[in-house]
Amino acid sequence: MTVITLADIMFGAVGLVAVGAALAVVSTSHLVRAGLWLVVTLGAIAVEFLLLRAEFVAWVQVLIYVGAIVVLLLFAVMLTKAPIGRSTDLDRPIWPALLVGAGSGLGLATLFAWVYASDGISAPPVGSAEKLGQNIFRDWVLPFEVLSVLLLAALVGAIVLSKKDAKS
Amino acid sequence: MRPKGVFGVSVPGSGLGKGLAVTIKTLVTRSTTQQYPDVKPELPPRSRGVIALREENCTVCMLCARECPDWCIYIDSHKEEVVVPGAARPRQRNVLDQFDIDFSLCMYCGICIEVCPFDALFWSPEFEYAEHDIRNLLHNKDRLGEWMETVPPPQPHDHRGEPSKEEANAAKKSGAA
Amino acid sequence: MLPGMQWLELALRVGAVTVAFLVLPLLVGQTEHKVMAHMQARLGPMYAGGFHGWAQLVADGVKFIQKEDITPRAADSPVFKLAPGVALIPYLLALAVIPLGPGDLVGEPLDIGLFFVLAIVGVGVVAVLMAAWSSANKYSLLGGLRAAAQLMGYELPFVLAAASVAMAAGTLSLPGIVEAWEPWWLIWQLPAAIVFFISGLAEIRRPPFDMPIADSELVFGYLTEYTGMRFAFFLLAEYVGIVVISALTATLFLGGWHGPMAESLGWLWMLLKTAAVAFVVIWLRVAWPRLREDQLQRLCWLVLVPVSLLQLVLTAAVRVAMVQS
Repeated sequence: MTVITLADIMFGAVGLVAVGAALAVVSTSHLVRAGLWLVVTLGAIAVEFLLLRAEFVAWVQVLIYVGAIVVLLLFAVMLTKAPIGRSTDLDRPIWPALLVGAGSGLGLATLFAWVYASDGISAPPVGSAEKLGQNIFRDWVLPFEVLSVLLLAALVGAIVLSKKDAKS
Repeated sequence: MRPKGVFGVSVPGSGLGKGLAVTIKTLVTRSTTQQYPDVKPELPPRSRGVIALREENCTVCMLCARECPDWCIYIDSHKEEVVVPGAARPRQRNVLDQFDIDFSLCMYCGICIEVCPFDALFWSPEFEYAEHDIRNLLHNKDRLGEWMETVPPPQPHDHRGEPSKEEANAAKKSGAA
Repeated sequence: MLPGMQWLELALRVGAVTVAFLVLPLLVGQTEHKVMAHMQARLGPMYAGGFHGWAQLVADGVKFIQKEDITPRAADSPVFKLAPGVALIPYLLALAVIPLGPGDLVGEPLDIGLFFVLAIVGVGVVAVLMAAWSSANKYSLLGGLRAAAQLMGYELPFVLAAASVAMAAGTLSLPGIVEAWEPWWLIWQLPAAIVFFISGLAEIRRPPFDMPIADSELVFGYLTEYTGMRFAFFLLAEYVGIVVISALTATLFLGGWHGPMAESLGWLWMLLKTAAVAFVVIWLRVAWPRLREDQLQRLCWLVLVPVSLLQLVLTAAVRVAMVQS
């Protein structure tokens, strides 16, 4: 029997915040507020990383997701259509979404519980920048590079799409 | 014409440098702002602030009132007989009853002061006589007399300026004689 | 649990950071009042507090408190009310990790302080978007969109320039970077320093990068609908932003607390360097006109990003050469 520490309680509480905010993202009918709830979700996940002593990942989460991706998302929403108040014409099929969301969530939860139920994980080392760098650029350099090729492909695709087509 | 930079070639960004230079130069230069209500301004002695009246010099000749371009001087007087012992007849003299200047009309041209033959009117640099009611800008002879205290003493003649008319005339006369 | 002494120390550190957070922006603001006035051949505030208007900002604060707190009827009220706080908090947190002097003279010595500061400063843009959108005002929205486009563009050279100095020092910790700093870095890291400072200016939306506010065309940009204390919070955020950017520039590129008698006077050098950079921030506001939107993006993508990338290459080359020899 392990002792429940303060960190465990905080981990659970912040997790609840993250899940609650995530639910708000998909359930609110205020378009821009959904984006702002996403900020809360991603921020809470960053705090979870902090509680797991993975500082670097936590701040990357804030820098990239909160500082750039959500901002880009909000920017796009505001640029196209940003009504204040409820939007009644949202296309939100509840049941399929519930099925897929709950299914994948529960599936992942049971999977992890089943895999790690018998043997607990030893406390992870502090996620310093140095360790992370060594991991990425020494042990996992191939997947990293493959990922960057994927990003490059997306970039090229974006340029092709946004280029004015001379033929049509 | 765009100003040319070094060697007749306009350097890109030189305008930015100039902006920085001008602002830093202004920063270290003393500001000339007058702290007016706290610090009284040092006005030159010939400033045209307000017109002062030396009542005893006035002979009610009415020159000022007549020359005033916008008729802002109001003068009233009566004649008095003065019995001079030993004289054949009593003399008559004018006594000033009223001498008002309406500063809501006055345009500060100074003609009244120029034409006064008896040095009864003077410029004073005082200027703080604004009123809430325009009618109060009509200064009577007592009020005009109070301004006399603020009239600066006559300035010494500018030694590089033209000589005064009196001096010039005197020189001409002595030269001709 | 922390023992008593550590709690006391923690309270002391938090208190010191809060005091810095409240006092330094006021100092910068007052300096801006006076410096800007004298650069324009004026005197600036002269009455409040008696001596050369030193209490002008205190008087402004009192005025802001007295003002009516207005939320426009069409506005999204919770978001509108939350935005000033979101604008302010990132800078407060950023101040906590900037080292003031050698040794332990820092609010909270983080192992990856540099990354933390960059991440947290980037969050400020969310507040701008919140304010812009929730005001239900077209000028606000336009200002917010301009701000978002500007901040996302300038984030890139900002981070790249900071990465260069982190590479040079071989650490992401701010005290570590200052520790490793040597005077010849002033030349080695000069392009990065300039890029960092310029994009930092753009990050805090100071002139000449005040396109999102642009009072001659957008009323007051995303701040149009704000009054009273909420407006004051946004203003405070702007001035804390100046402090943070100046302190970061001083820390990363000007050697922080390095200077004669650094052991005892390090904090003074750091403050002086920060003040000097803040002065330049004010100076640029007075001297230079606002960049047009297209000039702004052009400067970012065609000048700052390539320069910072070249600087990264240079830093890496020199670093490798140093390790080899």
